[in-house]
Amino acid sequence: MKAHRQKKLTIILFVAAGLTVSVGLILFAMSQNINLFYTPTQVAEGEVTIGQQIRIGGMVKEGSVVSANDSLQVRFETTDFIHAVPIEYEGILPDLFREGQGIVAEGTVDAAGVFHASRVLAKHDENYMSQEVKAALDAAGVNTETHPSLVAPES
Amino acid sequence: MWLWFSKLGSPKWFYELSGKWLPWLAAGMSLLLIVGIIWALLFVPPDYQQGDTIRIMYVHVPFASISLAFFPLMAVAGTITLVWRMKLADMVAKTAAPLGAWFTALALASGSIWGSDIWGTWWIWDGRLTSMLLQFFLLVGVISLRSALEDADAAAKACALLSIVGCINVFVIKYSVDWWNTLHQPSGSFSLSDEAPNPPEVWVPLVIMIVAVYLFFVVSLILSTRNEILERERRSQWVQELIGAN
Repeated sequence: MKAHRQKKLTIILFVAAGLTVSVGLILFAMSQNINLFYTPTQVAEGEVTIGQQIRIGGMVKEGSVVSANDSLQVRFETTDFIHAVPIEYEGILPDLFREGQGIVAEGTVDAAGVFHASRVLAKHDENYMSQEVKAALDAAGVNTETHPSLVAPES
Repeated sequence: MWLWFSKLGSPKWFYELSGKWLPWLAAGMSLLLIVGIIWALLFVPPDYQQGDTIRIMYVHVPFASISLAFFPLMAVAGTITLVWRMKLADMVAKTAAPLGAWFTALALASGSIWGSDIWGTWWIWDGRLTSMLLQFFLLVGVISLRSALEDADAAAKACALLSIVGCINVFVIKYSVDWWNTLHQPSGSFSLSDEAPNPPEVWVPLVIMIVAVYLFFVVSLILSTRNEILERERRSQWVQELIGAN
C-alpha cells in the first residue's frame, strides 16, 4: 500500500475508534435515562420521587390480579421476584396481560407506595412456539418462562 | 489479489458480471420469497401466546436484520472511496442509502403494527426503537448530504465520513436490548429440538424469509448500481456501444 493511502486509512480508523469510545462513554453515563423502566426493587427502595411520571416494569405476580365487577378498575402486583409493587389501573389491558406475564406500566407512585398506572403495556419474551409444544413442555415440567430483562444494568 | 481488487473497481467489469448473475439471483429470490411467504402465512402454527400475530415476525425480522447491513456496507465502500478512490465503491454507497432508508422504514412500520397488537402501543421510546429511528434519520441525512453538495467528489467524501460515523449506531441498535431494559424483546435463539422454545417449525420459514429478503436487497442493489454506472459512465465508449447495440 502506498504511503499516503496508509496514512489516510490510519486517520479514518483513528477517527472511527475515537468516536466509538466517546459514544460508548456517553451512552454508559446516560444508561439510567435510556432504561425504559424502573424495576419494582428500585421503586420499593425509594429511588423514585413520589408523584413523578415514570414507567415500571416487571412480572404480574401470580394470584395478585383483582378486577372490579362493575368497572374496568384492576389491581395487581408487579414483581421482579425480590420486591413487589402494587399497581392500580383503570382501563383496557392488552390481550397478553395475565398472571406471570411481563408488563410495563406508566404512571406515578403515591406516598403509600402504590403505583397509579395511566397505561399498561405487555412485554413478551423471545420464545416462540405452538400451543402443542408449550403444552408438551408444561406437561414435562420444563420451565419456559424466561423473565424478560427485569434487572437494570448496574448504575 | 490486487489485480482482482482493481478489476472489481472497474464499472464495466461489474456491469458485465452482474448482468450474468442477475437472472439467477432474481430467480432464487422469487422462489424463496414465494415458499417463505406461503409457509409463514399458512403453515406456521399459531404462537401459544401471540396466536396468528406471530406471522408478522416473518416480515419484520428479515427487514430489521437487513437494515443493519447498510451502514457497515456504506462504511466499507466509503473507506474504499476515501483511501483508494475507487469509482464503483462510491456508486454502491450512493445507491445503498435510499434502499437502506426504505428497509429501515419497513422494519419500523412492520414492528409498529406488531407492537400495536401485542404490546398495546404503536410506539415507545425504548432503546431499540429509538436507535432504529435514529438510523432512519441518519440514512435520510446521508441522502440529503449527497444532494446538497454540488461537487460530486466532495459529496462522496462527506457521505463516506457520515457512513463511517453512522456505523456506531448499528452496534447500539444490535445491543440496545441487552444493555438497557426495553419493551422490545431480545433476539431469540434457534433450537434444534422439536420440544423446546423456537423449534424448527418456527425458525426454518424465518431463515427462508431472511435469505429471500437478503437476495431481494442484493438484486435491488445490483439493479440500482447498474443504473448509476450507466449514468456516470455515459460518455465512455463501452456504454455508448451498449446503447448503440440495443
